[in-house]
Amino acid sequence: MREIIGHAPGRVYLAVLLLSVVGMMAFIIRGGLETAAGEEPFLLFGWMTMSLTVGVAFVIVWLIAYLIYFFFFWPYR
Amino acid sequence: MAFEITALSAFGLIIIALAAYGYKVSAKTAEDYMLAGRTIGVVVMFFFVLFAISSSWTFYGFPGLLYLHGPGYVFFIWGSVAGFAGLYMFLGPRLWALAKINRFLSPVEALAERYESKGLRMVLAISILAFIVPYVGIQPLGVGAGFQALTGLPTIWGAAYTVVLLVVLVLLGGMRIVAWVNIFLGAVYVTALLGSLIWIVQAAVPGGLPGAAQRIMEIDPELLSAPGPYGEFSPVLVAGTFVVGLLAFSWPHVVIGAMTARDKHLFKWFPLLVFVFGGLFFYIIPFIWGSLVAPSIIPPAELAEQAAQAGSTLEIEADRVVQTVITRNLPAWFGVFVLMGVIAAAVSTAAVQLMTSSIIVARDVVQGIFKPDASDRQITAWARWSVIVIVVLSLTVSILDTGLMALYLTDVSIPGFAQWAPALVGGLLWKRGTREAAIAATSAGVIYLALGLLITPGGSRVLLFDLHPIVPTLALNMVVYIVVSFLTPEPSEEIQTQFFDEVDEFLRSES
Repeated sequence: MREIIGHAPGRVYLAVLLLSVVGMMAFIIRGGLETAAGEEPFLLFGWMTMSLTVGVAFVIVWLIAYLIYFFFFWPYR
Repeated sequence: MAFEITALSAFGLIIIALAAYGYKVSAKTAEDYMLAGRTIGVVVMFFFVLFAISSSWTFYGFPGLLYLHGPGYVFFIWGSVAGFAGLYMFLGPRLWALAKINRFLSPVEALAERYESKGLRMVLAISILAFIVPYVGIQPLGVGAGFQALTGLPTIWGAAYTVVLLVVLVLLGGMRIVAWVNIFLGAVYVTALLGSLIWIVQAAVPGGLPGAAQRIMEIDPELLSAPGPYGEFSPVLVAGTFVVGLLAFSWPHVVIGAMTARDKHLFKWFPLLVFVFGGLFFYIIPFIWGSLVAPSIIPPAELAEQAAQAGSTLEIEADRVVQTVITRNLPAWFGVFVLMGVIAAAVSTAAVQLMTSSIIVARDVVQGIFKPDASDRQITAWARWSVIVIVVLSLTVSILDTGLMALYLTDVSIPGFAQWAPALVGGLLWKRGTREAAIAATSAGVIYLALGLLITPGGSRVLLFDLHPIVPTLALNMVVYIVVSFLTPEPSEEIQTQFFDEVDEFLRSES
């Protein structure tokens, strides 16, 4: 972590991860997972609930950020 | 019944044979027994850690809670994926390098040396043991529930079978064979979990997964979104569950895994497996099981009626609903194979937890406090024999506690594990973190958590403000750590050099 904070690409990487966590929290707190009265629950491809869809998107953001940083910028690579 | 007994006996014998082989090839040193001689590569490490964290909870508690309350609880998984990856990206390299340079055998030992405090060593050892020991006992009881659902035999039979396997594996094998056996156990587990899902969807879910979702939409659409049919998973609780997952980096039996790594390149590749195999594949299987397939085949209202007729409760039946669905819809022989998968999951997790606990007992409590001049052979012997004591203790605690499996994990064990997180993170990353701060913060967090869970007038956790236990306790812990660190003298130059500068140099040069 100290080596990541110590250079600009590392700080960008940490900022992306932090933003994804904050974004996730904001989405949850604002009721993004809930179904409004009278509406049908969100289902992507007919079966992926909102909780699953949002989580998969979150993991993909972390995966892409990790691949870019750890394979091109990590000081100990 | 004869077929089930024969198959489970053969499965148990394979595990015992692997443990015996591990004992034969081991180097018989403390480092080899406790940390596999620091020779674990990335693939073994991944399966070792993945199946150390994927317990019978993944098959029972997790889908059981989704089955009852809808998909909100899955945010624990999303947080955990980030937490485990974070451990290996942010803390793992430093902890590994530090332990390798100084020959530390446990993370508690590393922190005790970093903070120059035997008192902290005692506080950390006792608090970690206090929260990990009951968790160990949950695994055999989880298997017992599966045994009962499959064979009708009392829970204690399945629990006893699992305990025997566990004790033999850990006593003989040590960390190396526990890691290697986890690959075998993990393969059985994934095959059982995924195989059962594919088969049951083909056999009992017309229209596949969209068909399952459609059926749930007709019977109880609230099962398809938060907060769920009982309004349990409110936005605040889901957010709290997500945060609890993020703190997975502090699980002691996962942290110790980082110390067994062969080289620093492991830390570059490991997160890839966590994200792709763990986050995008493995954990989605029990999610689909609990949130879609099981409720579409046995609606919760129907299970509640059956539970009432059998003198059970919906919560207990929900915990084993996956096994029940399989037993009712697939051939008997496959039910046995699935139970093997559950046993594999339980043994793989409990074995690592037992190893971790025994290392802490032998290295940190016995040698660290009472007998500093103990020989290598003595430490290994204490570690081995403490396994039996820990198993007995953990089973007793688990039998006395009748809480739901999933809630025990997220409400008690994980908030407990999190209490050493500020001392761990500060000790590895912040030069200014002090001994006084680590002792005060950990003690304050643990005491607050214990009081908050025990004092519940009218069923309300008033001391915790009815928040998730991790939120107020960890907040207090962190504040105390930071404030006390600034109020007390900073660590010596010598400590800063040993624990920061030398580690940086080693990581930059080591290949």
